Amino acid sequence: MSTRVNPNLIKEIKKFGASDWNACFHCGNCTAVCNLTEEGVLFPRKEIRALQMGLEDKLAASVEPWVCYYCGDCTETCPRDANPGELMMSIRRWLTAKYDWTGLAGLFYKSLPALIIGFILVAIGVFAIGFVKGFDHEAVMHFGHKLEFWLIISVFTLILVPNILRMFYFTVIKPKVKASIGSYVEAVGTLFLHMFTQIKTLKCDKQTVRWLEHLLVVLGYLGLLVITVFLDWFGTENKIIIYAGYITGGLVFIFTALLLISRLGKEREVNRYSQPTDWFFVIWLFLMGLTAFLVRLFIDTGLLANNFWLYMVHLMILAQWGILIVPFGKWTHFLYRSFALSFINLKKAANNVKMEAAA
Amino acid sequence: MGEKELTGIYFCQPSNGHPDVLNIPELAEYAKGFEGVPVVWHSGDFLLTDAGHIAARIKENNLSRIVIAGDTPGMVKTIFSKAMVKAGKDPANVILAGFKEHGADTLSGINLAKGVLYCAVLGVPFEAATVPGETPVNTETLVIGGGIAGIQASLEIADGNQKVYLVERTATIGGHMAMFDKTFPTLDCAACILTPKMVEVGQHPNIELMTYCEVIGLTGGPGDYTVKILKKARRVNLATCIGCGQCTEVCPRKAPSEFDAGITLRKAIYIPFPQAVPNKYVIDADNCTYVENGKCGVCVKKCPVEGCIDLDEKDQEVEIKVGNIIVSTGFQVFDPKRVENFGYGKYPNVMTSLEFERLINAAGPTEGNITFRTQDKKGNWIFTKESGSPKSIAVVHCVGSRDENYNKHCSRVCCMYSLKLAHLVKEKLPDAEVHEYYIDMRAFGKGYEEFYNRIKKEGVHIIRGRTARIEEKDGKLIVRNEDILANRLVEQEVDMVILSVGLEPREDAAALSKMLGIAVNEDGWFTEANYNTDSTNTFVGGVTIAGVCQGPKDIPDTVAQGAAAASRVLQSILNKKVKGSIKELSLENIEEQAKQLK
Repeated sequence: MSTRVNPNLIKEIKKFGASDWNACFHCGNCTAVCNLTEEGVLFPRKEIRALQMGLEDKLAASVEPWVCYYCGDCTETCPRDANPGELMMSIRRWLTAKYDWTGLAGLFYKSLPALIIGFILVAIGVFAIGFVKGFDHEAVMHFGHKLEFWLIISVFTLILVPNILRMFYFTVIKPKVKASIGSYVEAVGTLFLHMFTQIKTLKCDKQTVRWLEHLLVVLGYLGLLVITVFLDWFGTENKIIIYAGYITGGLVFIFTALLLISRLGKEREVNRYSQPTDWFFVIWLFLMGLTAFLVRLFIDTGLLANNFWLYMVHLMILAQWGILIVPFGKWTHFLYRSFALSFINLKKAANNVKMEAAA
Repeated sequence: MGEKELTGIYFCQPSNGHPDVLNIPELAEYAKGFEGVPVVWHSGDFLLTDAGHIAARIKENNLSRIVIAGDTPGMVKTIFSKAMVKAGKDPANVILAGFKEHGADTLSGINLAKGVLYCAVLGVPFEAATVPGETPVNTETLVIGGGIAGIQASLEIADGNQKVYLVERTATIGGHMAMFDKTFPTLDCAACILTPKMVEVGQHPNIELMTYCEVIGLTGGPGDYTVKILKKARRVNLATCIGCGQCTEVCPRKAPSEFDAGITLRKAIYIPFPQAVPNKYVIDADNCTYVENGKCGVCVKKCPVEGCIDLDEKDQEVEIKVGNIIVSTGFQVFDPKRVENFGYGKYPNVMTSLEFERLINAAGPTEGNITFRTQDKKGNWIFTKESGSPKSIAVVHCVGSRDENYNKHCSRVCCMYSLKLAHLVKEKLPDAEVHEYYIDMRAFGKGYEEFYNRIKKEGVHIIRGRTARIEEKDGKLIVRNEDILANRLVEQEVDMVILSVGLEPREDAAALSKMLGIAVNEDGWFTEANYNTDSTNTFVGGVTIAGVCQGPKDIPDTVAQGAAAASRVLQSILNKKVKGSIKELSLENIEEQAKQLK
């Protein structure tokens, strides 16, 4: 089989962040120092190799970058200061763009002005609708609730599902991975385990606190999603739902605040090279949790009627989150990472079959 | 330079005010006074990625030549050559004015840098325009450092019937080579080559051996240096000590042996090793009970020679006058404790290559048996013949070398000595498995590639991949690596790990370089006058360098450079004069010489 080389791959990846990796002299330190590498799951050195040789298909087929949780060990010990950890992050951004059929993910990663224009357009749209509805608080809130519902359905069916299928095509179908039905069933199990626990982070050194913060944000976020969209938090009279909403909303903004502070302090290796998209993701998650919390607080204290702007701001944040960040931004790592871990199991199973056949 | 030929100067480094960085604004001011130099650019004036823009600037000023000035001007030459082509000019007219390579640094003053700039603009070779004057030479020579480089240099000069002072800091000459078991690739016994030379030095009528001494001051100039030397108190009289060893037998105090790389203990009064030159005792004041609290002196009581041991002896300072100085101060090995992931100092059977050299040496603590490190009754970690032999050994290359976090340079000898150690292990323990983990195998010398092939045939597992971590599990050491050529991740279980530590400049090399006025490069090695054509002279008249202190090298190269340095010294003695220092030339003198060459 011939291999196609893309000589511009290096330039392309540089647009997604990292640029130091060309110093790499392929000693293999990064692969060996990583706690998450194992037989058959070798990175980051092999990805650097594929990149330096312009093997685009090979890089697109690699799910290994999603295994990395960016603890920074490889970058700290790299004898060439080639920063393999940041390269893994950049490849994840590139893969996100690659999987996205609309091309918008790539545009937003590469161009900050495009991203800002997107945010402004969505904000204008939200306020235009508010204006059309005469800033009537019931009508707008009713609209907001419906928007949430339809956003979830349309983003899921139009963007996320096709993109996951594309990921499946690039990583499993195109490289001709032949796995048995049984291994597919097992892969579904790993998918959900990792999606909701990110349990593998614990294999990294010194990552327990970060894992816990992250887990609480994820659980808080998912809880808040269910409570606002499906249990109508802002409309309900049910005390249990109201309190559950406060707890999940609080979890989201308190722990994203902690993540934000650590990103500002750049104490962790993972935070040293934040990109605009990373900032938007964490800040918008924080604002969403905070404004949701305040909206319900204003409802309960009867202040919302005179402070309707708060709900408008919340709706704007929500729309920007749902229209831009979820389908085209960093949010997707939630899906891709979990799917990657289950695809790896497929690859491993297929490889074992091959090895046995060879033996 | 015709009247129409205009030159532009580009300073490729900023002046950041750091005391080690030349004052670029002052140089730029000086350059503005040149004829035919309409523009002086600074780094940051334009982007060095846009050749088109630079070409436009060249055209706009109608330049036909560009001088790039700075410490490393070659780094940006390509873009200027491209720009010259784009501007329709001859790219050969991009001229480099490298300050560092000509010894122009803050230590030597800004005038030398101005001279470099002047010569570049005039298009005259700097070397040709900076011929220093010559002064009469004192025929006596000082050699600093008694390793193989210093020994070779001393013998060459002394055999030429000239007087040499050989100053050595420790109590014996021999240096690192005396510690090695075998040499590569010939597998000669290192001591068998070295000790006859050491004895020759000790007995040579033209060599005044000054062991346990340090150079602490230097005055005078080329051809007539006055050197202040600290004679550390040896507390044993070199003239009367008969080397009987009775003092050692009774001495109550022990300390790690420097010669055995710390893997055995010696007494506080000791001979560094049996073949030491001079073969006389010395007292380690840091570990002597008498020096500590005045209550001991059993060695004095036991000594059969009246007045030989003087426990109250004080350090002395002496002055000697010499014409030439050869610096051969060698290196120190990298301390692997700095690499936490390797667990050196934590796991007893992770050791440095130097420790292993002593362990495998027939004169070492176990008579050459490879055994485990164990604890004695007092808790000291030692090797004994009875502690059992490893069945598998890993050798980890590039420890502290080729690493941006520690030393960036390649230490040049580690690949080969690691292969040699693998061979020695196979020789002593034929059934043991040896795993070598390397980044690149640098078998660069005569017979070295053949040696590498030989070791491969001996069944040593040679694996491409840098070791990332060593961990202990159930008494075994786990070495974690990527096996790059086999596309695998390796977690190899072994009994013992040898860390092939790199060479680095001695801690006090910088202080010595300041004292002598010679330069060091970014890694800390002493800078030679010209990398290709003059690797032993320095920019200071009458001061030459030899051996690893100039840069990592193996024994044959060290010996060759020692002899080369000696030839420079003998040359000046035969000519009865020595070249002065380039650094002492005045700017006017350089300008005058350059103009005459034009």
